[in-house]
Formats: sequence, structure tokens, C-alpha cells
Amino acid sequence: MNYVILGNGIAGVTAAETIRQLDDPGQITLISDETFSPYCRPMISNLLEGAVDLSRLPVRSADFYEKNRITPILGTRAVSLDTDSQRVTTKDGQTHSYDRLLVATGADPRPIDAQGLDLDGVFFMRNIENVQQMINTLADVKHALVLGGGLVGFKAAYSLLRRNIAVTMLIGSGYPLSMQVDETAGQIIQQVLEKNGLTVRTGVFVTAFEGKKRLRTAHLSDGTRFDCDMCVIGKGVFPAHGFVPEKSIDTDAGIMVDDNMQTSVPGIYAAGDVAEHIDIARQQPWVNAIWPEAVAQGRVAGFNMAGYPVAYRGSLSRNVIRIFDTDLMTAGRVSPRDTDEACRFFSASDPARGTYRKLVFKEQILVGFVMINCIEQGGVLTSLIQGRTPVDIAEHNLLDPGFNVSRLMGRLTR
Amino acid sequence: MKQVIVHPERCVGCMQCMLACAASHSKTGTLISAISESPRPRPRIHVGAGLYEEGFPNRCRHCDPAPCQMACLPGAIYRQTITNTVLINPDICINCASCAMACPYGVIRYHADPLAPAAKTIAVKCDNCIARQHRGQIPACVEVCKTGALTFEEMDAAMKKKTDQVARSICAEAVPADNAPGFSLLNTVKRAEKEINLLR
Repeated sequence: MNYVILGNGIAGVTAAETIRQLDDPGQITLISDETFSPYCRPMISNLLEGAVDLSRLPVRSADFYEKNRITPILGTRAVSLDTDSQRVTTKDGQTHSYDRLLVATGADPRPIDAQGLDLDGVFFMRNIENVQQMINTLADVKHALVLGGGLVGFKAAYSLLRRNIAVTMLIGSGYPLSMQVDETAGQIIQQVLEKNGLTVRTGVFVTAFEGKKRLRTAHLSDGTRFDCDMCVIGKGVFPAHGFVPEKSIDTDAGIMVDDNMQTSVPGIYAAGDVAEHIDIARQQPWVNAIWPEAVAQGRVAGFNMAGYPVAYRGSLSRNVIRIFDTDLMTAGRVSPRDTDEACRFFSASDPARGTYRKLVFKEQILVGFVMINCIEQGGVLTSLIQGRTPVDIAEHNLLDPGFNVSRLMGRLTR
Repeated sequence: MKQVIVHPERCVGCMQCMLACAASHSKTGTLISAISESPRPRPRIHVGAGLYEEGFPNRCRHCDPAPCQMACLPGAIYRQTITNTVLINPDICINCASCAMACPYGVIRYHADPLAPAAKTIAVKCDNCIARQHRGQIPACVEVCKTGALTFEEMDAAMKKKTDQVARSICAEAVPADNAPGFSLLNTVKRAEKEINLLR
């Protein structure tokens, strides 16, 4: 069997490993744009922060490709896919035929509509190369601008603050992480960042960047100018499936996959940030571009590609962030844009412990939560959402600080 | 290979397992000297209170595949196959709490640990006392448990014992067997107290 995997992110890497475990003689080719050996993408913000150095980012040993007998083709990306002749063409003009194909091409940062994007000092934050370039310019950066209050913008702002750089964040909605959390939690974490030097401005965006070669000034939508020597654009990502023929392969925001991570074309699979499956909390198709789902999807795709049918149960949006002395964990539907009047909300806060917890139920099923500090039991709540387990105990049991897994098993232990 | 088996119905919530665990994961290894160590050793087994204040010794199940291992960003969590133990490499851990979000049992804690690089906050959880086992001892929590809520047995034998108990209790003639009558009484009292308080 001849397997071709597009992308050396964690979905592609996990799939390759899984295939190798199950199909020893199979031929595996891995094609990727990024030449760095498989690394932990979420940790690029730790790299920017200076908390870890480059040597800590690889998540597989240097001989990963050799050891797993994978043929790596790095520094190029797929530009077209012919599903009839089962061939992928890459940017360097080569074609590669496959029996089974995995599209794990991830996502690309969403550009903004502004002039001067090519100036030095204007960055996206998606890969190691981006962050290395950022670090190289940090020495003479006094004031940084971060566009977007989502996860990328948030982590970029935090990392720069830790480097003692003044940061101004421009966000479109009323508070940071508005896609992930409710307003109360959003305000709490905004205050934490503000206490540490962040300035937040809402309702303005950048119309143009100005400077000779290096960024010096940003022009804002309210007509004012803003002097800065660095800008990080964190306005989201979009799944990188531009090369996929949409007339044969169903695509929505991402590439649609079934429970076996197979696309609408038999033999072609998708996993990771590029794939769209069912969101467990929302019960509708959704792209959840997060690390643990990329691992899970890569694993399931690998099983199925090697001929072992394994089903994927759906993905769940979730995140955990530690900033200064504050921890935030969130999963599922919490943001007002994800909830409706059919949802039941329960919340509790304890100023003495600095905690805040909010649970979102749909009937007896937990569909989302956010917690600030004391996050150790968050995984128990996450697994309640993932299992769609009806919760038949009073909600305060889940909210109070003594919550632990035994409360859910009370009925079983007579 | 023997494993720690938890019998929650026999737990009285005395928390001696927590003390023994902390002491055995200290630098000095004994309770009397462990209490003056810095950082203070902390337990890796956690006795939580259930709905009716009944005790429950909550420890790592060493799941396979382990959700924490799959969620770990820097790849610090790994499985030692010979002891079937999921371990965290304190040097690689970055304290990102991705494992807290993944663990369905909530058994991972985050703090500086006597056995980790100094002053580094890391994820800490049960290691099956592999150091003790290596010396021919059984896990500290089991050794100290007075009520039989924690036992160290071959999994197959433990399963067989449990199956036999269930089999005996489903005979049409049989009254459901109470395997731990004293504990049931204790828990019934606790439950009654709790319910009466709730009604107040």
C-alpha cells in the first residue's frame, strides 16, 4: 500500500506513526511545506515568550522519519489533486501517486485588508519561522500592536508582555477570547493582562501600516495614528484546502469527513485543522483546530487508512491558558454567540480563592463550561461533555470547590 | 503484574494514603522529616468527598491509551510499558495544564515537587511508586491503608474476586450481599446526616 500524507503537523505525524504500527511493509511519503522536524505548534508562543528555547519544540526524535521508514518531501506544498488518476502535484512540479491520501495540511493565517502588510515588523504567528523572525526584531521593539483578541492574539500579547514590551491589543468584540468564554471570564483575564501592561482598545481596526522598510505607524479606522515597531496579526486562520477539487471532495469551512475521517472520495482522508467533523457540544459540523483533536483525528485516520475501521466520536472546542498567576479553562459552548435561550446557566464565584465557574447545560447534558483558577477538575467536566452524560445530581455539586469525580459516581458506590 | 485496585465502598476517608504518598515522594522519605522539607511534598492520591461525604481515593488509572499523554504539548507524558505506568518527565513538562483538560478523573496537580528540578512548577501525578516497587516494596498508599480500600493485586485475580461477589448476589434466593457491612453502615449514617442537614 502506498500512503501519501500531506502535512507534518501533529495530525500527519500521528497518522504516519499509526499506519507504520499497523502496516509494516507499507510505503509512507510525507509532504510538507515546513522543513523543521515535527514540533509542537502551540509552543511557539512559549518560544516567543522566551520560556523555552528552540530545542524544546520538537515532539519527535530527529530520526523520526528514518525510524518509521517515512520518505519526507519537505519545503514544498501540494498545489493540485487529481482524484481520478490518484495523483498529487506539488509546488516544485513533482507528481506523487497514492493508494491512500491523508490531507493534514492544517490552516493558514487569515490576512487583513490593509496596506503595508509587507513591511518589516508586521507578522503573522503560525509557525516557528514566523516566531524566529519576531524574536530577531525584538531588541528594538518598544511598542507592539496585536490585532485580534482570539487565542493567537492573546498568546502573542502575553508573550510580549513577559518580554517587558508594551502591548496594545485591538479587538473587534467587547472583550478578549469572545469566541471561547463569556463576558465575565473575558473581563477577568483582560484585567489580569491590563495589570501587567496591556492596553486594550475595542471597536477599531487597522487600515494601513506605514514605514520606510520597517513598520513605524499604524493608521486606525477612527482616523488616528498609532506609533508601533511591531504588529502581530491574529485574526484567525482558515483551513488550507485550496488545492482540493471541490467538485469531487465535499468542503465547507474545512474538508468534510465521515466518522472514519474519510472524505467524500474513498481513499482520501483528512485530519487536523483542515478537517470538519461533528462538534460534540454543538451537534453540528464544525472545525475545531486544536492540538488534542489533531492528535485524535490523525490516529483515527491512520487506523482507517491502514484498513482497521475505527470511528471518531466528534471534536470539542476547548482550551486552557495560564497567564501570570491566573488560569483559564474553557470547553464547548460558553460564549454568548454559541448559547441560546434553551441553555441553562449556572455560575459561582469565590473572590477569596479568585475563582469563577460557569456551566452551560442543555437539558441534562453539560455542553460547555468556563473556569478561572482551580482548574484541576476541568478534565472531569470535559469528559462529561464529550460523553454527553446526563448529569443527574444538583448543579451546585459541580460548581463548588470540592467537586471531584466521586460525586458523579455517588449512585454506584452504595 | 500487580496493580493498585481501589475499592471505594471500603474507604472511610481517613486520608492516611495521602500522607503516606506525600512522605514516600519526599526527599527524605519519612513523614517526620518530610514535613519540614521545602518544597513540601504533596500527595498524588486524593481523597475526595462524594455526594454524601463518603470517602473516595482518587488516583491515576494509568489509562491506555492515556488521554493526558495524547494531549501533552511538549511530549513529557509517556508510558513505561514494563510497569504499565504513565509517567511525566518533570524536565520536559511546561506546566501548560493541557493534561488537566484531558484527565477524566482530575488526578493531576500542579506544583513544585521535591523530586523535580528545583522551583519548577510541573504536573504531578501517581507514579505507581515504581521506586518503592523497585526496592521490593508495595505502593505506599496500599501499605498504609487500614480498611482494604486500596489493595495491590494481580488484575485477573481481582476481577475474578469481584465477579464471584456479583455472581453470589444475583441468585434469586440471595439477599444482595453486602461486602463491607461496617462501611455501609458508616456511609448510611453519613448520608442520613447530610440529608437531614439539607432539609433544614
